[in-house]
Amino acid sequence: MNLELIHKYPREKRFTLSILQDIQREYNYIPREYMEYIAEYLNQPLSDVYSIATFYKALSLKPKGKYTIKVCNGTACHIRGSESIREELLKVLNLEPGETTEDGLFSVEVVNCIGACALAPVILINDKYYGGMTKEKVKDLINSYREVAINA
Amino acid sequence: MLIKIDGKTYKGHPGETLMEVARRNGINIPSLCYKKGFEGLGRCRLCLVEVSEGKRSKIVSACVYPIKEGIEVTTITDEIIKMRKDIILLLLLRAPDNEYIQQLVKEYEVKAPERYIQNDNDDCILCGLCVKACEKLGTKAISLVNRGITKKVSTPYDDPSKDCIGCGACAETCPTNAIKLEESNGIRTIWNRDFDLVKCSICGKYYTTLDALKFIEDKLASNEEHICDTCKKKSTASKFKESFQHIY
Ligand code: SF4
Ligand code: FES
Repeated sequence: MNLELIHKYPREKRFTLSILQDIQREYNYIPREYMEYIAEYLNQPLSDVYSIATFYKALSLKPKGKYTIKVCNGTACHIRGSESIREELLKVLNLEPGETTEDGLFSVEVVNCIGACALAPVILINDKYYGGMTKEKVKDLINSYREVAINA
Repeated sequence: MLIKIDGKTYKGHPGETLMEVARRNGINIPSLCYKKGFEGLGRCRLCLVEVSEGKRSKIVSACVYPIKEGIEVTTITDEIIKMRKDIILLLLLRAPDNEYIQQLVKEYEVKAPERYIQNDNDDCILCGLCVKACEKLGTKAISLVNRGITKKVSTPYDDPSKDCIGCGACAETCPTNAIKLEESNGIRTIWNRDFDLVKCSICGKYYTTLDALKFIEDKLASNEEHICDTCKKKSTASKFKESFQHIY
């Protein structure tokens, strides 16, 4: 375990969420041993830390892919066909909703309005926006990410 | 501090909630998530009452409403009944087979429209009283987890919890009897974990778990006699009797 991530915070309850966010950023999920260590370090019941970790959508108990793909399903994107883009993504990646590809690269989420309605339908890969998405563009986009990951 | 409830005047202390004043004076305000000695949680919203201050009036939850000098409270109006019916309808849709919810349904003559009826069935109404009880009397082994439609009460990871002492405070406070607690052959099973039970040294009945006893002893830093509540009360009463015998 990389305890540095945790020890840089004072041992106070109010840092629970910040620590969880840092762990999520580092590992793309909250490994159980970290959850348990945080509780010990902050002298909080494990049930409280677990409650917070399961409340926020930004935190996850299962490993997320290196690239998290968020499909916007806000009203504008929904009307412009976000559903078919999501289906195509799951098909191309051979994924069930909420799961991560075996190589640990991709996971797909549906979110409600990311505030980029003018670009509808839009998807977000980590921090990058892809507006005006079509079913046809999905495959190439995924392949370009795969290539980057393989060459990295 | 003086307040009026249904036309009569009652005394209250600053910081008290409406529910506390009402309960002390035997006034019935329906509730599921209120428990004497715990602060109000405001989750079930059955305890709605109307509060008037001068010309203004509003509907509030009695269990979380701190009293103010001079307020006038009405515990039942047509509007309150209507709102309560809606709340009971929602509870009914969540816990259709629960006998406590059924009692309310009968009392308020609530009927769920066919098109709302779903098949998922849960006794828990997510009031959080058990979590509070565990925090106050136990070890905070359980909490409310997840959110939205997957919200529930559980131990971390749904695993047997290391923190749990099997005291059963959660099961005891639950207003809908939603928490499974089973006992057989000197073993209590709760939250997926087995606990050894301890017998009362007087009546010989199982009355608590070994872990709960240890927890209390550590807290009080003393060795407790292994006596159940019923026998404790009896022995205090007889000690009382004895000492009074010598006076009269
Ligand atoms: S188990 Fe009972 S006490 Fe706990 S939240 Fe559910 S209804 Fe309330
Ligand atoms: S008793 Fe007040 S909200 Fe439940």
